[in-house]
Amino acid sequence: MTRETFVIVGAGLTGGSAVVCLREEGFGGDLVLIGAESEVPYERPPLSKEYLRGEATFEDALVRPAQFYSDNGIETRLGIRATKVDLEGRAVELEDGNRVPYDKVLIATGGRNRRPPIAGLDLEGVYDLRTVIDADRIRSQVVPGRKVVIAGMGFIGSEVAASLRTLGMEVSVVARSRLPLDRVLGERIARVMESIHREQGVEMVFEDAVESFEGSGRVERVRTRSGRVIACDFVVVALGIEPNTEVAASSAILVENGIVVDEYCRTSVEGVYAAGDVANHYHPVFDRRIRAEHWRHAIDHGQAAARNMLGNQKPYDEVYWFWSDQYNYNLQYAGFATDWDELIVRGSLEQRKFIAFYLKGGRILATVGMNRGKDVHQSMGLIKAGITVDVARLRDEAIQVRDLASG
Amino acid sequence: MGNVVTIGQASDLGEGEMKQVVVAGTKVALANVAGRFYAFGDTCTHLGCSLSEGDLEETTVTCPCHGSRFDVTSGQVLRGPAKKPEPSYRVEVRDGSLWVEV
Repeated sequence: MTRETFVIVGAGLTGGSAVVCLREEGFGGDLVLIGAESEVPYERPPLSKEYLRGEATFEDALVRPAQFYSDNGIETRLGIRATKVDLEGRAVELEDGNRVPYDKVLIATGGRNRRPPIAGLDLEGVYDLRTVIDADRIRSQVVPGRKVVIAGMGFIGSEVAASLRTLGMEVSVVARSRLPLDRVLGERIARVMESIHREQGVEMVFEDAVESFEGSGRVERVRTRSGRVIACDFVVVALGIEPNTEVAASSAILVENGIVVDEYCRTSVEGVYAAGDVANHYHPVFDRRIRAEHWRHAIDHGQAAARNMLGNQKPYDEVYWFWSDQYNYNLQYAGFATDWDELIVRGSLEQRKFIAFYLKGGRILATVGMNRGKDVHQSMGLIKAGITVDVARLRDEAIQVRDLASG
Repeated sequence: MGNVVTIGQASDLGEGEMKQVVVAGTKVALANVAGRFYAFGDTCTHLGCSLSEGDLEETTVTCPCHGSRFDVTSGQVLRGPAKKPEPSYRVEVRDGSLWVEV
């Protein structure tokens, strides 16, 4: 029997989880991990929080210590970009012209920050945040009392605003949305987030956008579409990510808002898998394709891909879950809801201690909790089961969330 | 040999419940799993949340803040983001009283 070679393209959390899982599941063939970044796989959540604030080291964020890869016969090719998956030649092409042959390949190339065409985007002092290098760059600029403008108020924008404010910086936010995170959380919960940031002294400019970053050589001010001018020492652009699908371009691999895969992480081409931020995957619980960009999903999806590469036919049907720490508030979200007809709150929005249920036709699609993580955790089973629950019971604190499924 | 101290009545903690007790300055989580008692470090090794405020399912505790999972019988990490195990403490029931060795 010839030795099989599995190649993992992308050494982020998904790729890292996949190689760890492959070895743990007993894969004895050759394993090559290719990554554009120079670091071994690491977790990104600390980059906008503990690491950015200097409370945690980079080593704390590593999926496994660097030694793990050599100890486990995993060949790492780091600091080099894969340019193409050559389907006919069954090899991954690298930017230096080298080719890495594969029997099976997993595309876990993740995403990159959106950089819309804004004048002055290339000025010194205009940063964004995706990698540890980005985080270090921002960290080096943090001085209490200095002023930062953050473009975008999604999760990264919100967390960076909270972290930099906590470090004593003056923080202004410019965002197109009406409220922080309103697209994901809806207006009622987004208002809670707004009140928190306002209370913490963040200046927020909503329903506006950056027209230009201005300054001589280095950014000195931000001009918005509505004509507002905000002086600043530096800027963080946090306008979301787009999937890195280039390795699949001009091939038979179907790409549509990411690389399209089924619930087994299989692309449209035999032997080629995709997982993590880059994968637009069919999710059986929500019965649609979703491209998710969460820490837990990156791990679980990477593992699911690894197991399916090994021939275990197990669909990926994990309920999405993520957290966002901002100031002393721990926000957690489970499930997936893009529209809902009812939002039921248990607890108190005013006291910022609640779990809210997003319902469609009575079915719980998602939950969000603030400082009530235990309840969010218990709700995941309800979401997965797709059950409908009586509204009065949802509000009834006497019933444990887990027990809502029965009765 | 650590300090062996009593931390109250076994009957005060129902099945499937957890609580925090402070023993000689150490925050200890106490769990009742189907009538058996386990004690382990209450402060999550990830970012310090109180594990006894988390969710207990059989012998697994899930951190209320970031979802790390630990085995309450051993303190071992079952799932991240935590990477370091919790200390595990010996618990005994004597005449209905709980004793823990820290």
